[in-house]
Amino acid sequence: MTPKGLLPGVRVLDVGQGISGPYCAKILAQMGAEVIKVEPQAGDSARRMGPFPSDLPHTEKSGLFLALNANKYGVTLDLSSPEGAESFRKLAATADIVIENPPPISLEELGLGYESLQQINPGLILTSITPFGRRGPYKDFKATDLILYHMSGHAHGLLGAVKDPDKDPPIRAGGHQAEFVGGLAAATATMMALYGKQMNGQGSQINVSLFEAMVTQLISGLANSAWGRPAPPRDLAMVEEAAIGGMVGAIGGILPCNDGHVAISPREDAQWERWLVVMGNPTWSTDDRYSTRDARQKNSPSLWKLLSDWSINYSKHEIARLGQEQRVPCFPVNTVLDLMGDEHLAHREFFVEMDHPEAGTLKYPGAAYKLSNSDLPLTARPAPLLGQHNQEILEGLNR
Amino acid sequence: MNQLPLQGIRVLDLSWIIAGPTATRFLASMGAEVIKVGSARRPDPSTRGPAFQAYNQSKLYASLNLSKPEGLELVKRLLAISDVVIENFAAGVIERLGLGYDVVRAARPDIIMVASSGTGHFGPHTDYVAYGSLLQHYTGWNSISGHPNREPVTGGLWADPWVGMELAMVTVASLNNRALAGEGQYVDFSMAEALSACLPEAVLDYQMNDRVKEPMGNRDDWYAPHGVYHCFGSDRWVAIAVTNVSEWAALCGLIGRSDLTSNSKYATAEGRRQFQGELGTAITEWTVQHEDIEAMRLLQQAGVPAGPSQDILRVFQEPQLSEAGYFNRVKTRDGEERDLPGLPWRFEGTQAPILTEAPVLGEHNDYIYGELLGLSQGEVAHMVEEQIIY
Repeated sequence: MTPKGLLPGVRVLDVGQGISGPYCAKILAQMGAEVIKVEPQAGDSARRMGPFPSDLPHTEKSGLFLALNANKYGVTLDLSSPEGAESFRKLAATADIVIENPPPISLEELGLGYESLQQINPGLILTSITPFGRRGPYKDFKATDLILYHMSGHAHGLLGAVKDPDKDPPIRAGGHQAEFVGGLAAATATMMALYGKQMNGQGSQINVSLFEAMVTQLISGLANSAWGRPAPPRDLAMVEEAAIGGMVGAIGGILPCNDGHVAISPREDAQWERWLVVMGNPTWSTDDRYSTRDARQKNSPSLWKLLSDWSINYSKHEIARLGQEQRVPCFPVNTVLDLMGDEHLAHREFFVEMDHPEAGTLKYPGAAYKLSNSDLPLTARPAPLLGQHNQEILEGLNR
Repeated sequence: MNQLPLQGIRVLDLSWIIAGPTATRFLASMGAEVIKVGSARRPDPSTRGPAFQAYNQSKLYASLNLSKPEGLELVKRLLAISDVVIENFAAGVIERLGLGYDVVRAARPDIIMVASSGTGHFGPHTDYVAYGSLLQHYTGWNSISGHPNREPVTGGLWADPWVGMELAMVTVASLNNRALAGEGQYVDFSMAEALSACLPEAVLDYQMNDRVKEPMGNRDDWYAPHGVYHCFGSDRWVAIAVTNVSEWAALCGLIGRSDLTSNSKYATAEGRRQFQGELGTAITEWTVQHEDIEAMRLLQQAGVPAGPSQDILRVFQEPQLSEAGYFNRVKTRDGEERDLPGLPWRFEGTQAPILTEAPVLGEHNDYIYGELLGLSQGEVAHMVEEQIIY
């Protein structure tokens, strides 16, 4: 039997495409809401993004689409046609929540915006995710993950300081952090609106800005600015002079291993003492240049050379295990291959397996939380085929 | 006008540093009464400075020494009148303090207890010591971020605030369930899993193609050109992402290189990816003549997704944020007017979110111990003297 999750009886329409909207709706689905994905005849744009088996594009085999849309039902509607719009209105009349992330599909432009839908369903929650929100000079600007990552200040911090900033530009993280963080912000706001609706019946119109979602990750930096502090420099020479934090010097860093890298952070004196035990208390450790945190910060180039000469003889998992045995914060730099073989994640059943009629049996990342009194429907059904539930859901509307 | 959705909810906040306080900041600003509990005996490491201001806006702050038995009794009385309790100590610490879920539930049967730690509260690596800056390595993110053939990046992915938002989400999901089903919940939350959950492309690519995804700097699997291009001035860059053929034509037209549009080797994204180096040279010839903001405006007017690569101070000064109503101007206790950060969402037609200055330790002791728990002034004074309210 499918577990009920936390939101039994809550109905969601997912008009989103790509990542942020569908990720928001995926969160609601894995929490137990009934999520109906509404796609145009050509399908969600994520169906045309990879990865695909053997890199061959196929409407039903996009790994990104399969992961973002598991546990949802799927119907196709041409919302620009009168019949399609009418079916959508009927569906919206039965829903608690509608999620959209224009462009390309904007309910407002289709005459299906909040005011129109609220007339048929006063308690409806409409969550709209856009690159910059609905106000401000950039409200009509386009953005992708790359643009959002750079504009929001994240790229300046990711690479750390570099020797020549004019030749070594800021970079984004891999994957699609801005889209996922924006989708999560939308899910958080939607959950809040749903609680408000349960308490006093009120509907909500919510506008989420992907840009502001990324900016909100950096509120400590914004507060530093509000208190007149300068931005951390990207020029390595300036960082060493100012000894600003981050993963440099005595705070921690990356060590090379014989099979990759390990990240360590023995920042407190007691942690450093225990780290020296891991390394077998090398003779240089009593040297004045490394005996205090300040000294280690000041002499970090020569210190990291000594650490690296030692670490290269071991594997990343070996060092992580030895370090953690001494309660030193350290972790291997894992690849997805490492994650999928990780005994801890396996024990916690983090990855979940589903069989899809076209794409076959695959493992998907699950949820980051386990609940004492509820099981989550993480494997209720694989992502829908295009139009899979048209008959079941749309024909019922006309009866 | 709607009221804020979390009005009437009370949250006991035993969390500290970044992830937990981020979660309760979201809850407080949307109407919940958040009571942060801390002690001068073991202050929140982020207590001083602007970071604390950001993570603790809109909360009440009680001082309480949990190492004293009487302090523990006071916490239980606060639990009895709370809907939610949040903690983010290392796994096992809250139980050693005498505040495991069994104790918490005894004080308030339908309470929602949210417990966050680096790797979660069961499993072989439960006791691993973690910092957010290390989790980005453990969770796979730093195997796909950075430059190919260079050592992994050392900067921040900002794992803690990301996770903090997810903690707020799962807390309110549990409140919804309490409203529907009438029962509380213990939530075991793994910060590491929250990050690994957002790498589905790499996870599926590995299974489908036996391929271990590698870092690619600013480049992309699908779109091209895709990168940052040097603008006029030192360390100034504009990010450009061409996602379809009409944006490609618009870019070529803008930079005066319509000849590229008609060259068949650039006709597909695959072709443009292959020749991205030479296209970068052509694009940079145009971008270096423009300030980054001006380059963004011209590109966006032409219909090409673009924006400057900014440091945090420029983000703070961003007109998009001020004009969209993101900041809240607050007179802080030093007498200065400052723009404090806001929320990434707007609830239209709803009361404005509560975004006040962060409290100082013990600022709300009178309200919390006097008004909420009904202690007399004499009782409070005694507990202050005994370093229980401390």
